Amino acid sequence: MSYFFQLVVSGIVVGSIYALSALGFVLIYKSSRVLNIAHGQIIAAGAFITYALTVWAGLSIYLSFLLSILITFFLAMSVERIFLRRLIGEPIISVIMVTIGLMSIIDGLVYLTPFGTENFSFPEFLPKTPISFGGVSISWTQLVGVIITTMLIGGFSWFFKRSTIGVSMRAVSDDQLASMSVGISVPKVFGLAWATAGLSAAAAGSIIGNITGLNFDTLHAFGITVFPVVILGGLDSIIGAVVAGIIMGLIQQFAAGYLDGHWGLYGTADVLPYIILLIILLFKPHGLFGIHEIERV
Amino acid sequence: MSANRWFATGNFFSTYKEEQRIFQTNLDRMVFVLFLTALFVWPLFFKLSNKYMLVIDNILIAVVAVYGLNLVTGYAGLISIGHAAFVGVGAYTLATFSQLLGDRHVVITHAWPLMILLSGGMGAAFGAFVGLPAMRIKHLYLAIATLSFQMIFQWVINSMRFFDQGQTVYVGRIYWLTGMVGRKEHYFFWYYVILVIVVLLGFGVRNLMRTRYGRCLIAVRDNDRAADAMGMHPGLTKVYAFALAGFFAGVAGALHAYLYRGVGIESFTLHQSITYLAMAIVGGLGTLPGAFLGPAAIYMLELQVEHLAEYAGTIFTGTMNLATALKPLTFGLVIVLFLMFEPRGIANWWRIVRSYTKLWPFRY
Repeated sequence: MSYFFQLVVSGIVVGSIYALSALGFVLIYKSSRVLNIAHGQIIAAGAFITYALTVWAGLSIYLSFLLSILITFFLAMSVERIFLRRLIGEPIISVIMVTIGLMSIIDGLVYLTPFGTENFSFPEFLPKTPISFGGVSISWTQLVGVIITTMLIGGFSWFFKRSTIGVSMRAVSDDQLASMSVGISVPKVFGLAWATAGLSAAAAGSIIGNITGLNFDTLHAFGITVFPVVILGGLDSIIGAVVAGIIMGLIQQFAAGYLDGHWGLYGTADVLPYIILLIILLFKPHGLFGIHEIERV
Repeated sequence: MSANRWFATGNFFSTYKEEQRIFQTNLDRMVFVLFLTALFVWPLFFKLSNKYMLVIDNILIAVVAVYGLNLVTGYAGLISIGHAAFVGVGAYTLATFSQLLGDRHVVITHAWPLMILLSGGMGAAFGAFVGLPAMRIKHLYLAIATLSFQMIFQWVINSMRFFDQGQTVYVGRIYWLTGMVGRKEHYFFWYYVILVIVVLLGFGVRNLMRTRYGRCLIAVRDNDRAADAMGMHPGLTKVYAFALAGFFAGVAGALHAYLYRGVGIESFTLHQSITYLAMAIVGGLGTLPGAFLGPAAIYMLELQVEHLAEYAGTIFTGTMNLATALKPLTFGLVIVLFLMFEPRGIANWWRIVRSYTKLWPFRY
């Protein structure tokens, strides 16, 4: 039974990180209807910036974490400014393909650095002995990761519910024309959505990097796993992203814990989310919390 | 009206039949015939080394795949991020036979035209299945469905012992009327086979666009509600577009397997899918000449990038492989720049040049 609870704990850890990274994805989709295919690459970039600041520049890890999410905030904002701003009004298909191009560009840039081929791991800065109670253990990095993630998700929810900018972002996602007429600058909101997405992606990336080590493939694969999460939660729902993230984390951990090694299967955690995705698309395409569009074509 | 087959200014059609002609002027037809003859004749006079012949064969195979991607993304307006997986379905259909019957079984070596068709059929079946969500949802979700198909495909091949977990599965040499096609004339022989297939399928696509089945793809892309009101079924049309794309991809996959005499997962990754998208965009989405120009341009670019990487490798003696970094970088840049500055692709340059030379020295 403690094996089960162990899986639950690690599922929640992984799931909360999924939730955080899905949050950024949903933000961009909600405000500008763009699927950001390059999200995984931004996650990876954020993790690498944190590592570079910690190890190569010798800053304290907390400071470099803050700096990294700040840098990614502005990086994502400038990506929007340079590449996507001039595509406003173009068919949505070409905007999505620009993000595919961006993904390829960031891939290339990362391969130019040592991060593309080598594996790194963050220096230990927390106690090594895991906390355990009743046979279930959780390491300090995981615990701190979950705490930071929860704080960030809470902060974002507050931001959308209460702050003026958050409200204007929700207004734009609801109706662009109407929000323009009440004086909201739509392009600015788009830029801000990208910037916030970059921020959350960098935070997620740094936390994953601390837990699993820095490997480009695993990090940007995280960005693709975000797709099943957001589809399960409903593409335009922030609560959906959080709930579905944790569900997906649990599913993955259970698959890895109970399916792998039986019937000649292994690595099921990598494929199960996509199978679930296809099934959801067939039977409940708007996910758990997504808005049902009545239009059926 | 006796149609002016050499017309220069404006397009005046008095019947639908005239408008839907494949070649609108005699000049068009002449240029096309000359181009085609040149394509068929040049290998008899110039002997290229195997390396470059392989590149040219690859371009032609990519043309077949891009026909399919063009149908689904260009004409029907649905993004497919899993096209390489459909190509892989075709290739692995062949690999299945090779594993079951042995790589030199008569079915593979003698009945290869049938195998190519069968691979196309398998591709179509998988395409239709992945397109099924189209019955209920719109195109954004479909892009994700194709992406997840790509991931599932890679996982399945990588974990199946039947396919050597993505290692190369061999496919035997084939037989032609004159006997076995040996190592020397392998690329030469396949050049002609692929060229014939490219021409046939090219006419197939062009003719499809003259029928209601082709036009309904465009109608659904431009306005699916209007298409619905006109009596088309948008969902079924999208499924059908995916099936068509799958067919072309499957054929391309079988050709790839025969050309390389083996099937390995590394040719059907997400990266390759993006390369196909780059080809379609650079060539010009929704145009037939684009399907030729895109793959040619991208493969030429790839060759140049490889040369550059080799050259740079001699100057900077770094540990990393520059080619792996430069390839995605240039592809990404090419996709983004074309989308930003020339969304209609190289085919549009071709159109501009054509209309300019036709009317010269007048402006219009």
